Amino acid sequence: MCQNPHQKEINPSHFEGSTEEKATATVVDHDFMSYTQGMKFFDPHMHMSSRTTDDYQALADAGVVALIEPAFWLGQPRTGLASFKDYFSSLVGWERFRSSQFGIKHYCTIGLNSREANNEALAEQVMEILPLFLQKEGVVGVGEIGFDDQTAAEEKYYRAQLEMAKEMNLPVQVHTPHRDKKKGTERSMAIALEHGLDPKMVIIDHNNEETVKSVLDQGFYAAFTIYPFTKMGNERMVEIVKEYGPTRIMVNSAADWGISDPLAIPKTAALMKIKGIDVETIRQVTYQNALDAFAQSGQINEGDFIHGLEIDQSQKFNGNTVLRGGQAPRINKNSMIIR
Amino acid sequence: MIYSSAILEEILRFANPTETVWITSKSKGIAKELALAFVMTPRFISKTPINNPRNIIDGWVWQDYTLEKLVRIYIVCLLSEKDGTDQLNLLFDTAEINEAVALHSALPALKNPTQFLLRATDAVRSNMGSVFESIAFENPYPSLYFSELAWNQMVLKCIFNDKAIHRIYDLEKRSNQALADTLSDFAHERWAAGRRVPSQVWRLVPQFMNENLQSDINKLAQSDNPRDVLASELVNKEIAQPGSTMGQWKELELPEPIYQA
Repeated sequence: MCQNPHQKEINPSHFEGSTEEKATATVVDHDFMSYTQGMKFFDPHMHMSSRTTDDYQALADAGVVALIEPAFWLGQPRTGLASFKDYFSSLVGWERFRSSQFGIKHYCTIGLNSREANNEALAEQVMEILPLFLQKEGVVGVGEIGFDDQTAAEEKYYRAQLEMAKEMNLPVQVHTPHRDKKKGTERSMAIALEHGLDPKMVIIDHNNEETVKSVLDQGFYAAFTIYPFTKMGNERMVEIVKEYGPTRIMVNSAADWGISDPLAIPKTAALMKIKGIDVETIRQVTYQNALDAFAQSGQINEGDFIHGLEIDQSQKFNGNTVLRGGQAPRINKNSMIIR
Repeated sequence: MIYSSAILEEILRFANPTETVWITSKSKGIAKELALAFVMTPRFISKTPINNPRNIIDGWVWQDYTLEKLVRIYIVCLLSEKDGTDQLNLLFDTAEINEAVALHSALPALKNPTQFLLRATDAVRSNMGSVFESIAFENPYPSLYFSELAWNQMVLKCIFNDKAIHRIYDLEKRSNQALADTLSDFAHERWAAGRRVPSQVWRLVPQFMNENLQSDINKLAQSDNPRDVLASELVNKEIAQPGSTMGQWKELELPEPIYQA
């Protein structure tokens, strides 16, 4: 969730990359898929309702077999409960269907995001309907919740939703703030522990070099968002995996309405491969760890997607018979003729 | 009519003891508890196929149902019998795909079926394939309660979306002049675009022939596609002797997508 996609300021980082490494990345840009043949990916953070159908096609082509769409802020505040309700419904309805057309298994997490927690009158109403959605099939956690401005209202609803997650035995996907990130991340973890959550049920998202050590040391899952300009670059990601290894680390794209890249995971996997990281480690940080973390919800069956999503013949959409893995029918985008 | 007990009887043929306990305890709940049970059903009830199901309402076919879906339908029936309209509306408004399918599949067995007419016509408007099919196929609700306009919209959307119309219950019984005429217009549009129309759709026209439709049928007779030729033969036979082609459309009862994969 990028707050200002036009902001050019890059997060401070230990690792800026050598000239040689930057050159490598330029080469990979042109044909990253030749490095990821046969790999399958699980992106645990994508806001697909902000993306086009072309993105789904590209994801399927690049080997993304499953994804999780966390409920988030839509770019402007909602003014009533009905728009929250319709948004949550679309995450378990229309978006799930749209994804299935491309052979990608779509899961979601449901929650009240930190920004809109600040509208307390509305937040109260949203909290009322959350349990209904959290019990639904394929809802794999409470998310994304946490801090933005780190206000009292944000803290109140973060705590209340942690309690819900605990009661329903669901994983939690925690958004960490863009500003004052390090303190915000520590505070998010401390509160989760205070509420008695098992750290392995909590995925701390949008980590960077400054936050990762503490997150892992305390037993939480550490997710990294590869997102241009405001979050992580994938060269930095490679260095983190080299330093910390694959345990409890996962990569995501957080692709949304900002300048983001839905193919961030496959591209990062390609870069890791070029830089000598072994295939098993790559598999863990781009597939298995996300699967393990969210499968704790009891709502993920790997068999549903590992061999490609079995598309029910009833799942036809407007005259397009999409069979398996989104192979047909294809539109040649370079053709001037449209049939 | 109260259908919940007949549905429960069928459920108990397939449920294991643990599932039976869950179903029995949940069925005693108040409306709000029933609604939550509906949402949580997949956590407690398996997707066991319902083999050789009974038929409790004509046209309501459970052939491809699972136990979990049938339990959801049972809960929806209980809700309607216990006047849980508010909870039913909440379930419709917040439905996940499988929930939406169960809700629309349950419509013919609800206590006040016409109360949900708008939900049913909204399902016809849905672009989620399985939601559309849950109202259009193996479901007698449209035949029983749809106006001619709503019926025609459903049949046309079905054809437009390359779905096989023979799965619509009472297809021939509810055919009408307006539908036959619109079908002719639709075929002309498709033909102008160099596309085809599934051959079995012509079964909707024999009772309503006019000059336009006759020329369409003559055109089919000249087609290179043997299925179109067969369709024209069947239409002519049916015109000559109404009722004589019953069962003979079987060969044409398959999806014919305009895009071949």
